[in-house]
Amino acid sequence: MKITSLLIANRGEITIRICRTAKEMGIKTYGIKTAKEPSAFYLSFLDEIIDFSEEVEEIPEFLDVERIVKAAKSRNIDAIHPGYGFLAESPYFAQRCEEEGIVFIGPSADAIYKMGNKTIAKQIAKKHKVPLLQGSQGNLKSPEEARIIADKIGYPVILKAASGGGGRGMRIVEKSAQIEKNFKLCTTEAEKAFNDPSVFVEKYVRNPRHIEFQIFGDKHGNYIHLGERECSVQRKHQKLLEESPSSALDDKLRKEMGDAAIRIAKATQYFSAGTVEFLLDADRNFYFMEMNTRIQVEHPVTEMVMVTGVDLIELMIRVAQGEKLPLTQSEVQFNGWAIECRINAEDVQAGFAPYLGVVKKIQYPKSKNIRIDSGITENSVVTPYFDSMLTKLIVTGETREKAIANSLNALNKLWIKGIKTTIPFCKAVLHNKKFRSGDFNTSFIEKDMDKLFYHEEDDEMLAAYLATFDFAAELETDRSTYIDFEQGKNISPWVLNKRLRSL
Amino acid sequence: MDVNGRQFKKFLERREKLDKHQCEFAEKKQHAKGKLSARERIELLFDEDSFNEIDAYSRTSFTDSSFGKMVDAYGDGVIIGYGTIRGRTAFVYSQDFTVMGGSLGSVHAEKIMKIQDMALKMGAPIIGIIDSGGARIQEGVASLAGYAGIFKRNVHSSGVIPQISVIMGPAAGGAVYSPSITDFVYMTNNTSYMFVTGPNVVKEVLNEDVSFDDLGGAKVHSKKSGVAHFVYEDEENTLLGVQKLLSYLPSNNLENPPLIETPDKSSGIVEQLRDVVPDDTNKPYDVKDVINLIVDKGSFFEVAEDFAQSVVIGLARLKGRTIGILANQPKVLAGVLDIDSSTKGARFIRFCDSFNIPFLTLEDVPGFLPGVDQEHNGIIRHGAKLLYAYADATVPKITVILRKSYGGAYCVMNSKNLGGDFNFAWPTAEIAVMGPEGAVSILYRKELLESDDPAKLKKELAVKYRDEIANPYVADEKGYIDEVIDPAETRRKLIFAFEALESKHVSNPSRKHGNIPL
Amino acid sequence: MRLTRKKETESPEYIALSSQDNRYKIKNPFSEDIMINHKKTDIKIFDDENGFTYIQYNRKKYLVEIVEKSQNKYTVLINGVSYTFTIETPISYKRKKYLEKTKAKSKTEFIQAPMPGKIVDILVEAGAEVKEGESVLILEAMKMQNEITAPISGTVKKVYVKPNDIVNKEDLLIEIERK
Repeated sequence: MKITSLLIANRGEITIRICRTAKEMGIKTYGIKTAKEPSAFYLSFLDEIIDFSEEVEEIPEFLDVERIVKAAKSRNIDAIHPGYGFLAESPYFAQRCEEEGIVFIGPSADAIYKMGNKTIAKQIAKKHKVPLLQGSQGNLKSPEEARIIADKIGYPVILKAASGGGGRGMRIVEKSAQIEKNFKLCTTEAEKAFNDPSVFVEKYVRNPRHIEFQIFGDKHGNYIHLGERECSVQRKHQKLLEESPSSALDDKLRKEMGDAAIRIAKATQYFSAGTVEFLLDADRNFYFMEMNTRIQVEHPVTEMVMVTGVDLIELMIRVAQGEKLPLTQSEVQFNGWAIECRINAEDVQAGFAPYLGVVKKIQYPKSKNIRIDSGITENSVVTPYFDSMLTKLIVTGETREKAIANSLNALNKLWIKGIKTTIPFCKAVLHNKKFRSGDFNTSFIEKDMDKLFYHEEDDEMLAAYLATFDFAAELETDRSTYIDFEQGKNISPWVLNKRLRSL
Repeated sequence: MDVNGRQFKKFLERREKLDKHQCEFAEKKQHAKGKLSARERIELLFDEDSFNEIDAYSRTSFTDSSFGKMVDAYGDGVIIGYGTIRGRTAFVYSQDFTVMGGSLGSVHAEKIMKIQDMALKMGAPIIGIIDSGGARIQEGVASLAGYAGIFKRNVHSSGVIPQISVIMGPAAGGAVYSPSITDFVYMTNNTSYMFVTGPNVVKEVLNEDVSFDDLGGAKVHSKKSGVAHFVYEDEENTLLGVQKLLSYLPSNNLENPPLIETPDKSSGIVEQLRDVVPDDTNKPYDVKDVINLIVDKGSFFEVAEDFAQSVVIGLARLKGRTIGILANQPKVLAGVLDIDSSTKGARFIRFCDSFNIPFLTLEDVPGFLPGVDQEHNGIIRHGAKLLYAYADATVPKITVILRKSYGGAYCVMNSKNLGGDFNFAWPTAEIAVMGPEGAVSILYRKELLESDDPAKLKKELAVKYRDEIANPYVADEKGYIDEVIDPAETRRKLIFAFEALESKHVSNPSRKHGNIPL
Repeated sequence: MRLTRKKETESPEYIALSSQDNRYKIKNPFSEDIMINHKKTDIKIFDDENGFTYIQYNRKKYLVEIVEKSQNKYTVLINGVSYTFTIETPISYKRKKYLEKTKAKSKTEFIQAPMPGKIVDILVEAGAEVKEGESVLILEAMKMQNEITAPISGTVKKVYVKPNDIVNKEDLLIEIERK
């Protein structure tokens, strides 16, 4: 079935990204307008806007399964792309689409469900000989059980919510005595946050690298991987800068890990784009972590290092239409290096606190090796309702060194006025010796960055000058403005007479 | 005259002694406390070389009593005089803390009264720089009488000439009432205090420990009590603030405010104004953004910005002419009117009316703040002040309804029938007796109770209510609104309207004075 | 004998005092002879046609922006990094130094909301002892849970909010009494 119309159930940068591909493929795009950002930039890329802003429901717009399905159904829209976040990994949503005869652009509900549940995912991985961290075979029933297993595999261990994600619902336990307390905390937290108190335990790897593989499958049983992405630059499990390839992998390891990723995909008859996440320890052992059953924020770094340009969104749509993958594993060839800097509206100097405001001006660097996926434009409002990512800057180079240099160059020319962003942070990462050496892991920000934002020696002096200049200039304007007090005495007789009389 | 002669020598000696005190002794002592001397303050306030002191050599006549210690010093602890501030004559008194703590004795008081009388006679602004320990105990009732004389002159000058008080040290006891009668009070953070009874008395009577700052510091008075209109971090900027305020004001109640020639040649169309007010009626925005887009660039000078922030008041210029502005602030408590914001607004309207400053009201008000606390503390009485002030004012009065305008608050905020000269509304305006949700619940109580899906019905009725009643067009058709305008043309409309109103004159019935609900 | 004195000095001098107490003495800010800490410094400020302001210094461009100012207090961004200053004149600088010396540190410290958001959790209660840097409250904004930490060590005197409260920027959250 050929898709001719597409509802993008998302906002911001990814909606614009999907629109771009859809347009090239001649697909009509629909999107959702919310009361929270009624004049957002992404709306201007859509062919048709579905207005959810008139009525504000209790369920947030992009999470309202029935409302979205109904909107698509009533307009005879062929397919829905969920983007990332929101409903992208909701098996229920995928199923509802299927039930209503709408093509869900992503994997099957079954695959989402299996991979979304960490315990099931691990069982599948184990069955298909994908290396795993030692731990409980499924959810724990009691703190005692947790202790017995933890004692066996050795400390530190980590307790994790089965339905958790994004760094929430996790607790590291250093010794046997602490396990009971942490077990309780973890289950209540999981119950509160994900409505599911199930918890499992596994060996905790200190300071691993976080490496993920982009995989792809079609509905005809073909699977490929598109190489890895290095995502170790993280703060509280939030990725801030990614690259592809990873300096930690050689061809042999890449093949091993890629094959493992494909085995997982095969096991669930996975189709569409997916990402298999691994931890890599200091001895270059890798362990399966989880699989993300959606397009990732950082997918452009993969697209940018492919020799034959690949558009992952296009592939997703084609696979959803039932087409076969257009390339085989041996045709997947990489070239050069790509780095993605996430430009978030965050105040790095205030502990990455969200920074709200209006983007007054924005100016992008331009070059062949620069790609910008942006969700904002001039006068865009950064609201507290959605995540803080504004723009992604993806830069390539023939080598890692060149990609870093090019990225720095591009960051210097990326000017945003009106809000504080993570640009100074990205610069600090790219200037950091440890990062440049390629030998770093997930503890990088915490341990290896002595300053989290890049600045030059004279910056403060220049700032002082600017402030002083402005202050002095204002005084000067005040002082030199001529106030015509005499004019106040020129009063028409009409007014003056009456004024006098009414005293 | 022989400049080397005996007569001239005596003249020079006196001068030198005074200069030594004012410039060396006082400076040294005050600087050691992070303050400026009385003389330095005057020199910062007035144009260079323009200040002339009078009664510089007056001194206390000693009483028979030998209670306490008296200091014999020229000037008796206060400098009075006149000069020009940005070219215009103004009068000043500046207390000198280095002479008996700036305490107010009879001579000291006589001097202040003298300069008050002069300012009133000349119809020129007067500024009092206060740095005084209070009444001079040694002089007893004479110093109290002095205060009373000053208060009386403050009251008589009120509404005739602008009176400004600048608190740069302590102002305790009776001394606080003079500033509170004057039009504007400035304070310098960390070094100025105002209280009727000081921390020691509070400790004695109530056994409560409280610091000077917590009892009557600049922050307290600017945020909580509303006594201080302006607070600055240092004395220089405080005095520059006084200069700035004066640049908006006429010298007296017969003159018009001064004018600034503006190079502004723009059409008065400001498209950004269309985007400031959100469509969602419950979403806050900063009304100061609206103000800054309407008035001359950078001309908005906010008054009492930390007090009762649900109402914003201030002076600004519109094509070079001074106007007063009162605006509801949707960013704070949705812009609701409460006791503090009503009195803050009312007094400012009275000030502008006294000094022929045309008045602009920007309205986005959901109503008066409900609650036991407000009712028991007299929101009726205090809300009435705002209403009274609006209705009583005879200066040109224009209202622009930006968004909400509900119930009693509609009436109070310079509505047409209260005497608004021009009443404009933006298309986003909602004018009605109450908000949609409330109105629907009352009018369709029964239907809602009986409905299967009351939430849905309520929503539908609210939409209908907005369409049919809560919009600017009903009022427009009935003449309660003169014109519904495009937000972008607000500045232009206001310039024209205020120009047309320049020769406005209405007289209230003759009476001794009205009886404002105090 | 001197009855009045010069008010506006020939070459105005200012002191920009950073929040870290770094001092920049700036003379002649408007002229060609900008002196910063007694050194002639060649700085130029430009407004470009796209609405950006930048400083040119040592043949390099620095993107600059004044993000906040209130009276003499400024927050300035240079290439996205912020610096906070107060601009003092020689007189006000002396006053400031004097006040710093004499004013005892206030006994209590107030924690204010750094941004608008929703209170998710309060981790302390009145009477609890807290250490500097300890998390006391979680504020949700932008889908992110932000830990608010104690600025000083001491005892929690009062908690002004409860979970699920919506707070505005600079709303009072918690009061801590210094030990």
